[in-house]
Amino acid sequence: MSAASTEAGTIPAALKAPAELWGGWEAGLLLLMAGLYLAGALVNPAFFGTTDAFAAVLRDASRFGVMAVGMTFVIVNRELDLSVGSTLGLVSTVFSVAYAPSHADAGIAIALAVCIGAGLLVGFVNGILVTVLRVPAFIATLSTLFIGRGLVLGLSGGNTIAFGQKAAADPWFFRLGETNAAGFNNQIVIFVIVALVGAVALGKTRAGYETAAVGGNEQAARYAGISTTRARIRSYVLSALAATLAGLMNVAQDKGITSQNGQGAELIVIAAVIVGGASISGGRGRVLGSCLGAVLTVLIDKVLREGVPITRMVDVGGVQMEIGAVAQLPPGAVPAFLGLLLVGAVLIEPWATAGGLGRLRAWLMRAPLPLLAPRGDAAALAARTRTASALERTHSATGPIAAFLARRDAAAILLTIALWLVGFVLRPDFWAGLDNSFAMLTAFTEIGILSVGLTFVIAAGDIDLSVGSVLALAAAVSAFCLKELELAPIAAVSLALLAGLACGIVNGTLATRFRLPSFVATLSTFYIARGLAAWLVAGRQLSGFPSGFTLMGRSLAEVLTALGAQPGKGWWASFASAVSVQTLFLLILACGAAIVLARTHWGQMVYATGGNERAAGYAGIDTRRVRFLSLVASSLCAACAGIIYAAYLRSFNPAAGQLRELDAIASVIVGGGSIFGGHGTILGSLAGAAAITLIRALLSLQILLPSGGSYVLPQHWMNVFIGSILILAVIADIWLRQEHIVSRAITALRRGSRPRDAR
Amino acid sequence: MNANSETPLIEMRKIDKAFGPVRALSGVDFRLGAGEILGLVGDNSAGKSTLMKVLTGAYRRDGGEILVAGEAVDFASPRDSRERGIEMIYQDFALCGNMDVGQNIFLGRWPRRFGVFVDRARMYGDAARVLDRLKVDVNSVHAKVESLSGGRQQSVAIARALSFEPKVVIFDEPTANLSVMATAKLLETMAELKRQGVAQVIISHRLTDIFEVGDRVMVLKRGVNAGERRIKDTTEKDVLELIVAGAA
Repeated sequence: MSAASTEAGTIPAALKAPAELWGGWEAGLLLLMAGLYLAGALVNPAFFGTTDAFAAVLRDASRFGVMAVGMTFVIVNRELDLSVGSTLGLVSTVFSVAYAPSHADAGIAIALAVCIGAGLLVGFVNGILVTVLRVPAFIATLSTLFIGRGLVLGLSGGNTIAFGQKAAADPWFFRLGETNAAGFNNQIVIFVIVALVGAVALGKTRAGYETAAVGGNEQAARYAGISTTRARIRSYVLSALAATLAGLMNVAQDKGITSQNGQGAELIVIAAVIVGGASISGGRGRVLGSCLGAVLTVLIDKVLREGVPITRMVDVGGVQMEIGAVAQLPPGAVPAFLGLLLVGAVLIEPWATAGGLGRLRAWLMRAPLPLLAPRGDAAALAARTRTASALERTHSATGPIAAFLARRDAAAILLTIALWLVGFVLRPDFWAGLDNSFAMLTAFTEIGILSVGLTFVIAAGDIDLSVGSVLALAAAVSAFCLKELELAPIAAVSLALLAGLACGIVNGTLATRFRLPSFVATLSTFYIARGLAAWLVAGRQLSGFPSGFTLMGRSLAEVLTALGAQPGKGWWASFASAVSVQTLFLLILACGAAIVLARTHWGQMVYATGGNERAAGYAGIDTRRVRFLSLVASSLCAACAGIIYAAYLRSFNPAAGQLRELDAIASVIVGGGSIFGGHGTILGSLAGAAAITLIRALLSLQILLPSGGSYVLPQHWMNVFIGSILILAVIADIWLRQEHIVSRAITALRRGSRPRDAR
Repeated sequence: MNANSETPLIEMRKIDKAFGPVRALSGVDFRLGAGEILGLVGDNSAGKSTLMKVLTGAYRRDGGEILVAGEAVDFASPRDSRERGIEMIYQDFALCGNMDVGQNIFLGRWPRRFGVFVDRARMYGDAARVLDRLKVDVNSVHAKVESLSGGRQQSVAIARALSFEPKVVIFDEPTANLSVMATAKLLETMAELKRQGVAQVIISHRLTDIFEVGDRVMVLKRGVNAGERRIKDTTEKDVLELIVAGAA
């Protein structure tokens, strides 16, 4: 460097390592953690003031840290693994079922082998779904999440399994989860070892370099001779193995399981990796940062969960007494903050890596502002590029098979009819009866309303994972307003709709203004909305709403009776008692939405945006507005479903709408929507919703056996089926309708070896 | 042709354009007569696409002036230039594969009925008429674009451009993604457009195509005019020398 800069007293620029290299991000995390811990110790010295607490934070962080190491590989690959928490749960359940004297009572070696096998299987399934079967990562791993959770419930029967006594026989394994002679937990040792191995593997080996290359630019990596498929599968297997190890650490510590093990862990792990400096758009991430991120996230989690000791005045029989209490967040509210942390980290990361921190420092020190590196949106947009492949294909479909496939919602309609007939054949006495029809229509209505909104989002090329949580939030808001604030039904409904609107605006703003991939934006809303709902209703019994409100969830007959026009006999009476207000609402909503989507200018804009966002932009369509409004519409539909839920059940249950996003997405995809956008009709989505409802009803149908007995599928296995149906629908859509892999194979077979028409 | 004596349809004078420190165009002149086919050639980064994007308003110029039919214009976006009859067809056609031919031809401006609805009868009728005028063999306006071959997709893109009744159509590397047969068909289409009085600019690397249908060829080199030739007075070798050596 020239003498001029030396005179000015600055370090030559070229010698200064960029912040990333000397670990500026990691140093910042350490500072943040120290500050947070001190704050925790100040507020709650009884807990955070002790060395035990420090060891406990590190111990719990160890499991998440181990998973974060695996997740780093996946995220650097520009993918996502939502299934780690359920893999942890699955592995600990499998271990317990194999090992516990109350179940299989196998030896420790066999139990461990089975666990590792299960972990490897999950990893390979994820990897193959994402690479060979070309399923988008978030939908593939979301399905494995739910299937894994379903298996946990199915295997454990929803019960707690404990094996404390038998564990004493195998101390070498179970000591891994215990405190050692040096005074800290052995899990911390495992964490450190895994972190070191992971850091070396990602940072110093060819495999690690391959991972980074694939995440940075998959095409370039492939051209350079890297087997990108192998690299991506490898990352998923590593992530699943890390979750397996974490699951084993869990059973070693607890010597037993509950079916809740690992629930929501994926949020902490993904937040940890992003907070640790990895980019959601791939190619960047460090194991060390992820580990620090895990400790920080667990620390935040702990600070939020540990209450603040307070004294409160209690009136006991007219005497004021001062008693000690703990002000604490209600259980279930913590994910709201973790969701905020995730979205915050995703938003800050591109700004920080583009030099934003340097600008902030300069601004604070009143120095001239350095320029932001001009990278900005390209990275965040990357998640949406796979749609364009449709244009590269030069292929014309002919023949009766292709013509049948051309009608995208045909399959769902046929499936609905077939499933209904199956039910009718199995239980002719019960299936078509009033009770069952009413129950099925009611269940259909909830999925149907969600899928109407979701059809717009999916047709516009986005995804909305938050519908189930928004449903819960809207139900909680209306219940809270009615019971706690004693508002009129109309005000409660309006406020619940406003809550849904707010969620939609947040989703839309994050996805369009801040250009986050929509699954990331709506994933944070998924946690935030459910956390808020749990917070609102925590510890309260919210039921017994005014009848003006609950009429929205009643059957037509009851409403007519309430209005003094009781239906008489005959078909009208049966119709009125089978059909409820909500079903009529769905009918009106669906008709309106179908006309908008199929016949109006706006609907065409939705399809154009989902089909080719760039072309739509060239044609003068404001694609960001289209996507924004679609996401808002979806949240509003979810809010309507939530209000109806509260009115129908006349109470609020925090589990409202859980797994409903899965049903709704599956409905749209089964009904002809494409996970890549540009397709989907309201009729198809409703047919899909009907098919899903029928499958659920069939799975819980009591089948009369010829021997006179009956059989019901254990309900714990339900999620396994629903998750499998979603993943099968997505694969079928991609293989049959998007890539035309099957019809092309048929055409190729029919043409023999003749060369394709060169047009 | 006597384009020199008449007012040209498009005239660009002394166009400058820089991207940061990179000077993409410096003092480039450009002229296009009514109904003329001009080949715009040059090496990579010669500034061909930049010049055309300045013309359509996709880029703002740093200096110089643009005249359409003798009148100074200042396009802020491709939408403005479209109103003056200038259309560009992108290399990847910019179509929505999930929609049908008719919907793509009227992408973003589907005919309305009662304000909000799409007038489907009119849309497909008009689309069929545009395709007919183009004399291309897209069988049905109801076919999904993703089911068409590359050549037919390009026909849809051309039909889309033509539906604006343009005076000028700019083709960006039109033959880059086409088979030999589709290229021959495209050249026929270009000749047909010329008969209908539409001026065309072809940005291309393939001199053969330009020599087959073009009237004139203009060469850019590193952002400056390197020369121009009438097709009937020159040879491919001559133009190639201009591209490589840049002698005027």
